[in-house]
Amino acid sequence: MESYNRDDIIFALATPWAQSALAVIRVSGEGCRQLLSTSFSRPKALLEAKNATVVHGYLTDGPKGPVLDEVVVAVYTQGHGYTAEEALEFTCHGSLPGLRRILSSFKRLGMRNAEGGEFTFRAFLHGRMDLTQAEAVQELIASQSERSQALALSRLEGSLKQQIQASKEKLLTLLAHVEVQLDYAEDEVDDFTFPRQELEEIRQALALLSSTYAVGRLYGQGARIVLAGATNVGKSTLFNLLLKQDRSIVSDIKGTTRDYIEADCLIEGIPVRLYDTAGLRESLDTIESAGIQKTEQLIGQADLVIFLVDSSEVGHIPPKDERTLIVYSKSDLFKAPEGELAISAQSGHGIRALVAEIAKRLGAGFGSTGDELVIIESERQHLLLSGAAQALGRALTLVDTDVPLDIVAVELGEAMQNLGELTGEVTPADILTKIFSGFCVGK
Amino acid sequence: MDYDAIVVGGGHAGIEACLALARIGYKTLLITQNLDSIGRLSCNPAIGGLSKGNIVREVDALGGEMAHLIDHSMIQYRILNRRRGPAVQAPRAQADKFTYARLAKETLEAQAKLALFMDTVVDILLDKEGKRIIGVKTERGHSISARVVVLTTGTFMDGRIFIGEYDAPHGRLDEPAAIGLGDALRKKGFPLGRMKTGTPARVRSSSLDFSKMEIQDGDPILMPFSFDYDSVERPMLPCHITWTNAKTHKIIQKNIHRSPLYGGKIVGLGPRYCPSIEDKVVRFPERDHHQIFVEPEGIGTEEMYLNGVSSSLPEDVQWDFIHSIVGLEEAEVMRPGYAVEYDYIDPLNLYPSLESMHVENLFIAGQTNGTSGYEEAACQGLLAGINAAQKLKGEKPLILARNEAYTGVLIDDLVTLGTEEPYRMFTSRAEYRLNLRHDSCDQRLTQKGYDVGLQTEENLMRLKAKLEKIEAVKDLLGKRRYGQKSAVEALKMPEVTMEHLQEVISELSEFEEPIRYQVELEVKYAGYINRQDRQISRFEKLESLEIPLDFDYDALDGLSTESREKLKKIRPHSVGQATRISGVRNGDIAILIVHVDKGGRNA
Ligand SMILES: Cc1cc2nc3c(=O)[nH]c(=O)nc-3n(C[C@H](O)[C@H](O)[C@H](O)COP(=O)(O)OP(=O)(O)OC[C@H]3O[C@@H](n4cnc5c(N)ncnc54)[C@H](O)[C@@H]3O)c2cc1C
Ligand SMILES: Nc1nc2c(ncn2[C@@H]2O[C@H](COP(=O)(O)OP(=O)(O)OP(=O)(O)O)[C@@H](O)[C@H]2O)c(=O)[nH]1
Ligand SMILES: [Mg+2]
Repeated sequence: MESYNRDDIIFALATPWAQSALAVIRVSGEGCRQLLSTSFSRPKALLEAKNATVVHGYLTDGPKGPVLDEVVVAVYTQGHGYTAEEALEFTCHGSLPGLRRILSSFKRLGMRNAEGGEFTFRAFLHGRMDLTQAEAVQELIASQSERSQALALSRLEGSLKQQIQASKEKLLTLLAHVEVQLDYAEDEVDDFTFPRQELEEIRQALALLSSTYAVGRLYGQGARIVLAGATNVGKSTLFNLLLKQDRSIVSDIKGTTRDYIEADCLIEGIPVRLYDTAGLRESLDTIESAGIQKTEQLIGQADLVIFLVDSSEVGHIPPKDERTLIVYSKSDLFKAPEGELAISAQSGHGIRALVAEIAKRLGAGFGSTGDELVIIESERQHLLLSGAAQALGRALTLVDTDVPLDIVAVELGEAMQNLGELTGEVTPADILTKIFSGFCVGK
Repeated sequence: MDYDAIVVGGGHAGIEACLALARIGYKTLLITQNLDSIGRLSCNPAIGGLSKGNIVREVDALGGEMAHLIDHSMIQYRILNRRRGPAVQAPRAQADKFTYARLAKETLEAQAKLALFMDTVVDILLDKEGKRIIGVKTERGHSISARVVVLTTGTFMDGRIFIGEYDAPHGRLDEPAAIGLGDALRKKGFPLGRMKTGTPARVRSSSLDFSKMEIQDGDPILMPFSFDYDSVERPMLPCHITWTNAKTHKIIQKNIHRSPLYGGKIVGLGPRYCPSIEDKVVRFPERDHHQIFVEPEGIGTEEMYLNGVSSSLPEDVQWDFIHSIVGLEEAEVMRPGYAVEYDYIDPLNLYPSLESMHVENLFIAGQTNGTSGYEEAACQGLLAGINAAQKLKGEKPLILARNEAYTGVLIDDLVTLGTEEPYRMFTSRAEYRLNLRHDSCDQRLTQKGYDVGLQTEENLMRLKAKLEKIEAVKDLLGKRRYGQKSAVEALKMPEVTMEHLQEVISELSEFEEPIRYQVELEVKYAGYINRQDRQISRFEKLESLEIPLDFDYDALDGLSTESREKLKKIRPHSVGQATRISGVRNGDIAILIVHVDKGGRNA
């Protein structure tokens, strides 16, 4: 933290560094509006814009330079934006070469590329939010989809906080039971058996909460879906269909797609990065073989693989599992086996069912936390929660091997500290208050 | 100047303060109300206990006196909580009260450069600007000047005792309160408040039926509190245990309206951890009995202390409920229990050196700062004495960190958070309990005591020898085998103890028990100790970011108003301390970090 300088103007890409429809670049620091108005087609409009309004215009490469992009700028005056400094947010087109040009032009204007977390740090510095809030806001702004935005908002309103708080309260009570044994001599307090069952319950609750991280990450960063299958089964056709635009070349020649193509889209509100791949077959063509190798790599990293099978030429079919969906294509021409997912890109048959199935697979895990949707998304929260659960697990082992109570207390304390970092610290005074209110101790 | 230093009050804080100043070499005067009550154990005849035993040994390692006094006056010794683990076990000893106080006075009389004077301080003398203390004024009209003053008034500043409807201006039963000083300090703008505490009745040993009680003996092996010698010889007496019963509780409930506490006569807040018997009965009605320890007050006396039934109920009620207790049916009550209410000075107005923010060169220690307990008083007295001497020398104060000593935890808590009830130490107040073990106080503190001029060369050499022996034992365990494993590895298993190893490795018996014990702990809990060490190194980062005392918080933009006010009031000496001030937000800490890292300059 110490290395951050607070006085200069910083900028950063707020959306992932990837080809996409739109991208957001944030700029923060005193004087950023003045500086950027020199590279904007409507300087006056930008300079006079009220807080939290947007201005439409063209960004140029330096004063009177060539046009870089058509943009919409959100303006925040001092004390209002995320960082509470004067700030701008440019929504521009998400082509990578275009973004690269804009960012290097910003650098030439004398602004500095922000360090990781520096925007949050500045917000933090101006006392606008606590750590959980800061993270939630950061995700809110960077989030790509509506679903995720709702999640980030509910974080601010504290549903996550409430769940952690509940576990924390239980742990505090347990800790008081332990500490009273440690703070009074054995002849001063009642006999004690370790509340093992209670500890196990708290551990489970925390472990469950921390397991929602995988789902949360999916919403924040997008799921990878790979379309795979033999050549000519119709992968590229399905790809274009899901994207609702013709991005991949379709032909009846086997091996048309030789290198993979990727694109972002939303499937049932879930951000998805879709990959069209080279069809799998033995090939003597070196370029095509390299493509097939890449396909295999992509399959390895995918959150979901849609394996297309041509109903007329059923060849190798991989085993089904929660990550692999077998889909029979060209159902208008051939009848798929009974009970299997079948689609026709031509007639649209089965596409709805496929989309629903995809959403179901990606959303698996949602149901498990009950009706209220509490999902953790940040790496830090995940680490703290899983760290707490693990510490409690170790405490249980220690209890079971008759290790002295003050060592067990170290683990309980660590779990408590983790929870405290998430929702507010528990001080020794809190523990003592719990002890004095619940136990008759002292001579 | 008449003296370099004046210490007011000859209680447990004052004893340490005046000895430290005189031993470091300053011409010191102790003024106390009554020379015969120097070092008196006001309440229970015992020193040590959980975390408090550690404090006694911390005081000793720094070069203080308390451990010597108890070592040579104890009549029972026990290590508490052996089974609960290494971090929380601690020594506790029953004291012969009279021997303890006599030794204290003898020690002061034998100390070079230390003068004793019986009088009561009624005011402090300030320089023309009213900013710096230059001496004190006494009841009998003496004005005595000094460059520094340490104030340790205990329960005596405007003390008032209560026994049912009776009350009197005493600091202890039949010892006159120090009247006048409280008002004088209030007039000078010191923030004073009232606190209360209490003590049980004393009964006559020959009137008790011990055959109906449980006996509680001390440990067979007696280990000195002090690190300066390896053994002491003392006679050992048992304590006894009995219980209150339904009848006792009924008597108390029926008469609760006659308690000065429940009747509203006492306004000061008492300690939650040390409730009177009437508190226990009212707050925990579901309990049908409470434990009482019957403890001897000394060897040459019949007075027995009824630990567990502190009370300020009227004497007739005390008589009745005591007589309802098994074994005490015929008890002759020699002194009644009572509550005492007194002035304390809000410790939030102290720097971590225990110097007042209000008046320069005035240090305050002990119960006056809102604490309770002999050990809590002694460690503050010692640090106040040391820091008064540092001030005289023109050197930086000695501030113990929270990971170094309970004393550090105590003072940091007091000056950072203040206290609403008499503050007593608990192990759970310390974040790094495993590192604050009583057996290793010397390793953490002897050098510091030496650096401020209190510890002797000899003790430093003793420490060095101890460390060498510890290494030698570790070495030995590394080389030898136990079963299939090296002895070190074997010792890490929960079921293997040092005693087991001793049976096989006979050379181990050549080392003293404390040495073997320490190696056992260090090996067994190495994983946890290392982990705590890692946490400590993180903690130390913030502690090491010092904030100058004159830091201008007003010039720092971005701070929330609440944090700014708090920081200006507490004036933390480090960012670490600032993080512990309640109500100071993380965002504000971040701003502080940025600024003090720039060398404390305001941006
Ligand atoms: C009734 C009672 C009950 C207690 N109960 C408990 C308990 O339950 N648990 C516990 O831990 N502790 C208890 N204590 C507290 C314990 O005795 C003190 O914490 C400890 O003695 C404090 O040490 P000290 O040095 O601060 O003050 P003290 O031991 O009170 O010594 C203060 C000394 O300063 C002298 N003095 C005061 N003012 C002046 C002045 N203006 N001029 C000159 N001399 C002055 C007094 O005469 C006295 O000798 C109790 C004390 C009392 C009196
Ligand atoms: N009738 C019918 N034809 C389809 C359907 N889907 C794809 N086709 C045709 O099948 C042929 C192959 O389609 P592609 O989408 O290029 O197949 P691919 O799997 O990408 O092939 P490679 O890239 O060569 O591996 C094209 O001629 C498509 O028009 C369908 O649902 N019904
Ligand atoms: Mg293709």
